[in-house]
Amino acid sequence: MDVKDKIKYIFSYKIAGKLLIELNTKKAFKNFKPPKNWRTDILAPPLRTGVYTKEIIAKHYLEGRYVSGVKPVAWVTSGAPIEILKALGFYILYPENHGALCGARKVALEISEEAEKKGYSIDICSYARTDIGATLSKKTPVGKLPKPDLLLCCTNICQTVLYWYRVLAEYYKVPLIVIDTPFVYDEAKKHDIEYVKKQLEASIEVSEKVAGKSLSFSKLKEVVRLSKMAAELWLEIMNANKNKPAPISVFDQFIHMAPIVEKRGDPETVDFYSKMLDEIRERIKNGIGAVKNERKRVLWDNLPIWYKIRFLSEFLAENGVSVVASTYTNAWGELAPMMDIERPIESMAKTYVYPILNRGTGHKLKTMETMVKEFDLDGAILHSDRSCKPYSVGQMDQRLKLLNELGVAALLLEADHNDPRAFADEQIKSRLKAFMEMMD
Amino acid sequence: MLHVKIPTRKEVIEEEKSKGKRIAAVYPIHYSRELFRAFNIQPVEVWGPPKTDTRKANAHLQSYICSVVQSGLSFYLEGYLDIVDLIVVPHSCDSLQGLGSIFKDFIKPKQELVTIYLPREKNKENVEFLANELKRIYKQLSQLCGFEPDNERLMEEIKTEEEIDTLVLKFYKSRGNLPLSSREFYTILRSREYLPPDKFKSILEYALLHASKGKLKKTGIVLSGLLPEPMDILDVIDDMDAFVAIDDMACCMRRVYEEGNSSDPFERMAERIVNGPPDPTKGNSFDERFEFIKSLVDLTSAKGVIFYNVKFCEPEYFYHPILKEKLGKAQIRSLIIENDINEPLPQQTITRIKAFIEMIRELS
Repeated sequence: MDVKDKIKYIFSYKIAGKLLIELNTKKAFKNFKPPKNWRTDILAPPLRTGVYTKEIIAKHYLEGRYVSGVKPVAWVTSGAPIEILKALGFYILYPENHGALCGARKVALEISEEAEKKGYSIDICSYARTDIGATLSKKTPVGKLPKPDLLLCCTNICQTVLYWYRVLAEYYKVPLIVIDTPFVYDEAKKHDIEYVKKQLEASIEVSEKVAGKSLSFSKLKEVVRLSKMAAELWLEIMNANKNKPAPISVFDQFIHMAPIVEKRGDPETVDFYSKMLDEIRERIKNGIGAVKNERKRVLWDNLPIWYKIRFLSEFLAENGVSVVASTYTNAWGELAPMMDIERPIESMAKTYVYPILNRGTGHKLKTMETMVKEFDLDGAILHSDRSCKPYSVGQMDQRLKLLNELGVAALLLEADHNDPRAFADEQIKSRLKAFMEMMD
Repeated sequence: MLHVKIPTRKEVIEEEKSKGKRIAAVYPIHYSRELFRAFNIQPVEVWGPPKTDTRKANAHLQSYICSVVQSGLSFYLEGYLDIVDLIVVPHSCDSLQGLGSIFKDFIKPKQELVTIYLPREKNKENVEFLANELKRIYKQLSQLCGFEPDNERLMEEIKTEEEIDTLVLKFYKSRGNLPLSSREFYTILRSREYLPPDKFKSILEYALLHASKGKLKKTGIVLSGLLPEPMDILDVIDDMDAFVAIDDMACCMRRVYEEGNSSDPFERMAERIVNGPPDPTKGNSFDERFEFIKSLVDLTSAKGVIFYNVKFCEPEYFYHPILKEKLGKAQIRSLIIENDINEPLPQQTITRIKAFIEMIRELS
C-alpha cells in the first residue's frame, strides 16, 4: 500500500469528503422539499429518505476516486456473488450501475459512442458499450473510476457479461473470475449447484491472492447476514405496494435500488432500508400514494429506461396510472430467503443460480401472474429491451398469456435501457395511450 | 470439379427413418453427436436454414434476434420439422437459450425437447460438469428409446467421431490441393451436419483421392464467423481468383474436436467439447482466439481474414475490435462484414470483399 495514496484516501474520502456529504445530507433532510420542477399536482413528494440514497451513492463513487492502492478493487456483474469479495475487504464497482447512472444523467450516448468509434457494434448491450466507452475514454459523470485489480463475472444475468468482461480483462490485464451458472429451465439439478459451488470455492483462492489476505469465514457469515437482511427489507418495501394506493412507484424503486445492488453486505444499507421502510409505513398510514390519483395499477417488466424515467413516470401519473410492481426490482429481494448464514457457500451456490434472468420464460410468466394477483394489477408494460435479450425473449408469448388467460391489458414497449436512439417520445406516448385505453 | 453425389437432408431423413432410426433436429452449436448415435438417433442440424420466411417466428421473437434463430423457429413452425422425433437446443447464446425456453414453455412441441447447458471456460471442473450434463441427457434418451447403450457402444461411437475429426482435418489440410470451389468444399464439409458417419466418411475419402500435388495458385482467405450463408459469399471470393483456404466458423472448424483422453465415455465426450477449438460462445480469451486464427493463417499461408458476422450475434461482435487489432499487429489484414442469412449478399458487401482481396493481393 502506497502511503501517499493512503493519506489522500483518508483525507479526501474518510475525513473531508464523507463529512461534506453527510453535512449535505443532514441539510437536505432538514430542509426537505421536492425539486423545483417536481409535478406535485400528480405525484407525491419524493421519499425523504431518498436523500440517503444520494448519500450512499455519492460516498461510494467518492471512495472509488481515492481507493486505488488502498483497498483491492473488483469490478463485478450485477448478479455476482460479491459476499466473498466483501468479506475480503474489496472495494466493489458495478459497471452496470455506473452505466445506469450515465443513462439517468443522459451521458450514456456520448460515452457509448467512444466504444462504437473503436468498432464495438451498436447492436451490443448498451451497458457494455457505456462501460467499454468509459474504459477507453475515461469519461464518467462521477469524476473517476478506480482501475480494477480483479474482475468477477457471473453468467446468471446473461452470457453477454462473459464477452464484455473478456474485453475488460484484455484491457486491464487483471485476473477474471467467471462464475458460470447453468440456465434453469425448470429446477436446478444437483450437478448444477455442485458446479457453481466448486467455482465459488475456487474463486476464494484467486480473490485471496489479489486481496493479499485470507478469507475469514466469520466475516463471510456476517456479510451474508447483512446481505440477507438488506434484501429482506427491500422485499418488504416492494411488497408494501400491495396497499392501495401504492406508497412508492416502481420508478422510485429504480432510483432507490442502487444500494441493494451496489452496497449489499454493508450495515449502512440495512439501516438505510429500515429507515425507508418506516417512511413507507408512515405513507400507508396516512393514505399517501406515489401517484395522487391512482386509477390503474400496472406492472413493469424488464430493465428501466434510465434516460426516460421522469418522462414515463409523469406521463403515466398524468393519466392516473401507477406502476406498482416490477419483475426487475423484485429480483434483488425475492431470493433473500434462500441465503443461509450458517452455510454461506452452499446457499450462495443455490441462490445465485436462481435469479429470474437465469430461469425460463415460463417462470417469468408465473412471476408476473402472481404479481398481477397479489398487487391487484390492471395491466402490464413489458419493456422489450433491445439491449437485453435474455430478459426480452419470451415477452411476446408472455404478453399474449397475460392478455388472453388473465384478462390483463399488456403492452410490449420497444426501447433500450441505455441508448436513447431507440426511444421516440411521441411514438411511445401513443403506444401508452392505446394501452391505457385498453385498461379502461 | 469433383462429381460427388451428396444426399439432401430430406433424403437422409427418409432413408434413416426407413431403417427404424429416430431423427433429432439439432440447433447450433456444440453437442455430442456420438451420444445421440449410440441411441440410433440421427442428428440433423438446423442452421437457419437461410432464405427462410421468418414471419411465423416474428410472433414469438423480436426483430433484434439473429436470423439463425428466427429462421430456425420459423422452420419448425412451418411444419418442416414435423418428421423429426426430438428437438435438441444447446445453450449456445442468450437467443438460443430463449428459443429453448420458448419451445418448452409456450410452443410445447409434440417431440421430446432436449436442452444442453454448455459450460464456459476450459478447465477440469467444466469437463466434470458437462459429463454430468451428458449423463442427464443419456437418461432422458434412455427413457425415450427404451434402452441403455453400454459404455462399449458409447466408446465405439466416440471413436468413430474422433476418426472423422481426424479425416476432416486432413481434408482441410488438403484444401489447396483439391480441385474444388469454395462452395463445393463447404457443401461437402457441411454435409456432416446431417449425414450418417459412414456416408460422410466415404465422401471425404473419395474427395481426398483427388488431391493433386500442385497447390492452388490463388489468394487464400480465412473465413471466421457462424456459417457461410448465403453461400454466395464463397462465390464472390472465388470470382476474385481467391479461395477460402480454411475457416474459423462455428458450423465447421470450431467443431473439429481433438481426441479425448478419458476411458469414461461421458468424460471423454465432455473433454472433446470443452477442450475444442476456441469459440466466442464458449467465452475463450482473446489470446486463445488470436493464436488459433493465426495458426490457421500460418498453416495455409492465407493472406487475410474475413469476419463474416450474422447481424445481432453478440458473442461474435464483442471479439471483433480486439481481434482485428491483434491481427493487424501481426501483419494479418482483416475485414469485418455482417449480413442476415435470409437476405441476398448486398452489392456493397460484395464490393468491400472484392476491394479487400485486391488490397491483400497487392500487399503480399
